[in-house]
Amino acid sequence: MGTVPLPQWASEPCIMGIDEAGRGPVLGPMVYGCLYCALSYQKTLASLNFADSKTLKEEKREELFENLKSDPSLGWEVDIIDPRDLSAKMLQRTKINLNEISHNSAMGLVRRVLALGVFLTEVYVDTVGDADKYREKLSERFPGVKFVVAKKADSLYSVVSGASIVAKVTRDRSLRDWVLDETVPNINRNFGSGYPGDPDTKAWLVENKHQLFGFPTLVRFSWGTCTPFFKDCIQVLWECDKDEEEGSNACNSKKQLKLSSVGFTGYKRKIEDIESSGKGRCKFFQARKLELVTKFH
Amino acid sequence: MEKETSASETAGVTGTVDLVSRDESPVVDLTDRVHLLPCSVKHNGPSPVSDYFKPRKTDVEVEGMNVQEAFFRGRRLHGTTVPIPDGYSGYVLEKPQVGKRKKLQNSDGESNCWQSRGQFGNITYWNHDNMPSSDDAVLRSFHWFPISDALHKKVTPEEMAKAASHLNK
Repeated sequence: MGTVPLPQWASEPCIMGIDEAGRGPVLGPMVYGCLYCALSYQKTLASLNFADSKTLKEEKREELFENLKSDPSLGWEVDIIDPRDLSAKMLQRTKINLNEISHNSAMGLVRRVLALGVFLTEVYVDTVGDADKYREKLSERFPGVKFVVAKKADSLYSVVSGASIVAKVTRDRSLRDWVLDETVPNINRNFGSGYPGDPDTKAWLVENKHQLFGFPTLVRFSWGTCTPFFKDCIQVLWECDKDEEEGSNACNSKKQLKLSSVGFTGYKRKIEDIESSGKGRCKFFQARKLELVTKFH
Repeated sequence: MEKETSASETAGVTGTVDLVSRDESPVVDLTDRVHLLPCSVKHNGPSPVSDYFKPRKTDVEVEGMNVQEAFFRGRRLHGTTVPIPDGYSGYVLEKPQVGKRKKLQNSDGESNCWQSRGQFGNITYWNHDNMPSSDDAVLRSFHWFPISDALHKKVTPEEMAKAASHLNK
């Protein structure tokens, strides 16, 4: 993806900007992008007219992206986070929130660029969550690098503006070329921008909702936008949600029951008897959750 | 194979299971197509499973089991396909329509006679997040099979004698 082999300027002190695209949308990947160059190139960079990617038209962003790709004094990397990963991480037993996913992605980019051998001295990051805590976390992880974490960094520092273009164009292209997992006939691709407020996105969600499966995996199931849609869907109960409902907060506790054992005997059960217990039988059966079934439904 | 029962006969429920199709529709081979999900789905009925549920092979191997990955309702599932142990088979049973075979109804007016519609030689079970392990309930439930075999095996007089001499020691 980035510039290979390593240019000479990379062994000079370098600056890097990191920004994200597609954090808010209810569908498609979230993309983290970074742009780096020699500290001595900073002035030239400022003259390249990168602005916060959101304020630019799509064609202009595409053009700027092509320009920065062909600029031998610039390097860039992206991390594309699949919507399936976003949903899965936010819905797993030990939940990872979006801020943490974002931090990990940004740190992954720093790690990757350092591993390329780029001499990073200053890294500018648009903040996610509390700026001070984020800076501490980054500085702790990468002691040799000075981090500047700020709100709206993408409009304050041209190296972050550049990164925002890298991220935004990559996100747009990725969504445009997205290969859907599902083989549902006549599934359309009018996703819109993916933002919950976009009428096209709303219409697509309505049209592509499925009673049992919810949505195609392009959609981030963990988004609040999805919740009202699931209200009239077929109910699906998960063990770690059950714990949550009971308020025991047991999702990350060790006390949690093992649900892995829904029996062979079908699935139309209440949550209370979601797993067989072998209750009242000898230890062998109890330990294996083998229950005598006298009546099938 | 069929047996008529009355509700008063036992405290439990007695019924029959036909494993061989005796009418026009043949038993379908569902090997590689039976999945056990780690959640309770409040629905019974046909669904376009193969259009939405797309298991993928991974390079990961745990305790000799090949791990597959799939997504359902936004959750990541890890699964593995395990053969139904030797001498056993999986069946999908259906109650033949009431009315067709009135004589098989019990006093509740409910038939407890089943007919096999599908048969399978393996099952793919899925865990939410967790990797498959020999501690998983599906695999542990298979422990019953060899014990059941041993319990129900006919005992020869020689074996009885041997066991008795053991006890007397």
